Amino acid sequence: MSLIERQRGFIAEIAADDDLAPSSPGMAIYRNAYRARLADALAVSFERTRRWVGADMFDLASAHYILSHPPCSWTLDAYGERFPDVARELFAQDPEVADLTWLEWHMQQAFAAPDRGELTPAMLAGAELGESDWERLELLPAAGLAFRPVACALPTLWSALADPAARPLSPAAIEPAMLLVWRKGLAPHYRLVALDEFAALAPLLDGASFGEAAAQAGEDRLDQFGQWFAQWLGDGLFAGLRLAD
Amino acid sequence: MTGEIAPFTGFGLGLRKEHHAAFLAAEQPVDFVEIISENFMACGGRPLHTLGAVRERHPVIMHGVSMSLGSPHGLDRDYLAELKMLADRVSPLWLSDHLCWTGVPGHTAHDLLPLPYTDEALESVIANLRLAQDVLERPLLVENPSSYHAFPESTLSEWEFLRILAEESGCYLLLDVNNVFVSSVNHRFDPLEFLDAIPRDRVRQIHLAGHSQGPEGLLIDTHDAPVCAEVWALYAQAVERFAPCATMIERDDAVPPLGELLAELDQARSHASLPA
Repeated sequence: MSLIERQRGFIAEIAADDDLAPSSPGMAIYRNAYRARLADALAVSFERTRRWVGADMFDLASAHYILSHPPCSWTLDAYGERFPDVARELFAQDPEVADLTWLEWHMQQAFAAPDRGELTPAMLAGAELGESDWERLELLPAAGLAFRPVACALPTLWSALADPAARPLSPAAIEPAMLLVWRKGLAPHYRLVALDEFAALAPLLDGASFGEAAAQAGEDRLDQFGQWFAQWLGDGLFAGLRLAD
Repeated sequence: MTGEIAPFTGFGLGLRKEHHAAFLAAEQPVDFVEIISENFMACGGRPLHTLGAVRERHPVIMHGVSMSLGSPHGLDRDYLAELKMLADRVSPLWLSDHLCWTGVPGHTAHDLLPLPYTDEALESVIANLRLAQDVLERPLLVENPSSYHAFPESTLSEWEFLRILAEESGCYLLLDVNNVFVSSVNHRFDPLEFLDAIPRDRVRQIHLAGHSQGPEGLLIDTHDAPVCAEVWALYAQAVERFAPCATMIERDDAVPPLGELLAELDQARSHASLPA
């Protein structure tokens, strides 16, 4: 048996379900370690989700995920990436669960995302942009920035679940909004953004210039766009700027 | 790529999340800290900030768990590039990884899986190690893992495999004394035979850890308990053979307060100074 064949057989055995018994006590140790390590990674990555759905339900979902989604990255930190998708299927009757897993995953990603710096209002003022510069100003999104539409008061649930002893109520329905996650300094942040505000922000996140984004917002809403932009800048949603050619 | 790694004598601990605050608050009585390389690769924010602050106070050793030196498919070039970037940033005393494989293309086990000790496996590990040392521009330390499974096709002992590996690749060795003990029980060999066969001038670091009892008499390398008496005794034998070298205590589960680990590190200092 070649080394390649030996390794394929080995990993297939340790990742198999219980229908295939381990071939030796030693292989049982490797199988247990494989499952335990992945289950621990999910439990750590989705601590508040586990609190919300309960340990038993979470562990069933986790076991399903481990069998259906073998890890493929060199870093265990990436293992939960598809778990929000699986949560959406498994907890279809409780849509806040998928939202919660998404928020938990992206807060963690933002926490350790590669550094990008932060564009502060003072830095922007110091750039001394002329009128034509604003037209071609492009903004780099902050480290870990991600967004998702939600229709429940997820931030309330998220905050309540910080307390392991809390038993929060189901989150109330809200007007559909966009949930933003990003890192400012060393801390991950989140904010619910109204859909009209997000419609103004989205072009900037997509790489449009400030001038293009302002034009899309509409001439009659330029004041509002300016106020929103000041808030985004204060929130630390941008990591840097460049002037398009 | 071959090169020299100068001996470094000292006693250190792994940098674990539970102790980040203590290491940030004050200089700790350790001669170095060892990080898990993967915890700080391709990331930024607080983890990298913490590492930078600790690095200002202590020499750092980078210990990897994902290189998969035993893969016949070769090494992941992106992984090596990320590791190189971190090494350039940290300027560690050295980098290490394990004599193991961690997965096949498309499926990573996130475990240190055992190799059959054959010529084919030796060729793969030597080729991978040479590549890694070329990319990283320094020799590596390779650690002996604990194992719970032996392969009938093995034609070499683990210690013969390590000796040839060091000779052929120019790598150094990280001797995990607990792993020697665990594997000696699991595979019924004399741990002193293992120590005697390891080239004395290639060991730069020793790992110590606790283990636990598994099924059917097997021991499991769990890193969740203090170092046991048998491993301390084997450590004294190892120090006699391989000093000067660095000694580090690993604790990855049931991590106690830092003070407890520092006290255990003092035990290591005592054992290292006693005649075996």
